Amino acid sequence: MYPPKLDKIIHLFEMLPEVERRETLVSYADSAKKQEPRTGEQFQLEDVRKDEECADTVGVYLHVDENGKAHFRMTLGPEVQTLTRAMTAILCKGLEGATPQEILELPSDFVTRIVGAELVRVRSQTTYYILTRMKGICKVYLHRERKMASAA
Amino acid sequence: MATQPASYAHPDALVDADWLEQHSKDNNVRIVESNEDILLYDTGHIPGAVHIDWRTDLQDPVIRDYIAPQKFAELCRRNGITPETTCIFYGDKANWWACYALWAFRLFGHKNVKILNGGRDKWKADGRSMTRDVPKYPATEYPVPEKRYDKEVRAFADEALAQSRNGKPLIDVRSPGEFKGDVTHMPEYPQEGVLRGGHIPGAKSVPWKTATNEDNTFKSASELAKIYLEGCGVSADNETIVYCRIGERSSHTWFVLTYLLGLDNVRNYDGSWTEWGNKVGAPIERGA
Repeated sequence: MYPPKLDKIIHLFEMLPEVERRETLVSYADSAKKQEPRTGEQFQLEDVRKDEECADTVGVYLHVDENGKAHFRMTLGPEVQTLTRAMTAILCKGLEGATPQEILELPSDFVTRIVGAELVRVRSQTTYYILTRMKGICKVYLHRERKMASAA
Repeated sequence: MATQPASYAHPDALVDADWLEQHSKDNNVRIVESNEDILLYDTGHIPGAVHIDWRTDLQDPVIRDYIAPQKFAELCRRNGITPETTCIFYGDKANWWACYALWAFRLFGHKNVKILNGGRDKWKADGRSMTRDVPKYPATEYPVPEKRYDKEVRAFADEALAQSRNGKPLIDVRSPGEFKGDVTHMPEYPQEGVLRGGHIPGAKSVPWKTATNEDNTFKSASELAKIYLEGCGVSADNETIVYCRIGERSSHTWFVLTYLLGLDNVRNYDGSWTEWGNKVGAPIERGA
């Protein structure tokens, strides 16, 4: 149902008691900077913007390889909240190698299983924001591909 | 022209970082971090600080209200706080939530409260020490407060309406766009389900940030007096009600008026715009 890497992360979080769940989220948040684009990397789509659902600018960079697999890079402004940083690292790792179509069809119920019902309840906008942005860029990519295919 | 005060009315309500470093291990001091970012404390905090979340710790999960006195006593007990403990609050967002938590402590009659001037951002920017170690304090015997001081520090919608009708001071501390009714949330924040934009009729717009310097510290007593006493008719003779969207930014202004300018007749309307903007029968005004 979920891409295998994401499935593994979900299972990991489900086994954790609350304190360790928070520690693991913070540890993922710490690693969010590693998801930034590296020198020389090329992307089919880049979506850098600041919108109302998030406290600072978030950049989403999508590269789809010759096998149709998606690879994401992300940039986060300094005001982006810790939970958003955590979700960035989790989703970049968990969705690495999934296809844009799989990402677009991904049900969002797994977010509660990772973050926990309490954090979702009190910070719902924050927890879903990055997934929404990743789905958004996949949608644009697929739309563009279909347009190019029909033009050909 | 009114005489400008040379110093804060209650200068001891503010501490600076040097003071906090010297007193952080005092037995009667407890440092409390309160943030908007719910995991920020976990990423590092002032050594010895405990974490109190404005929503999960201070608000009732079922009724839109604050916790009952019993729950407040339990919160204090598990954080090693006694009625005599001096609680030093600090946090992100220029101390919005720190002021909110301080105000909530006052709601339960806890009197020894202070704010770390400049909050978390200044502490961090100054290169002061942070830790991820979560302190453990022996549980205390905090007695259940006999009452909540709603009447003294908190205003409700009907009181805000009376204030509006009687032409008494109402201060709207939201951004100018929210006040005018162009938006229903602060810039860069999600819309939180308010039907109408605008402000309570007669309210004056004094955004919370008017009270702070660039480094999030509070402006001087004379500057604050000019803004509030001269600029918007706030005085010791008239009750004042402050509000924002959910009560956190107005807690910041409530702290300024109560502790820095020494007005003891200021109340925070915590229902704020999320209540007023949706409330059946509540009048609004739009525009500047």
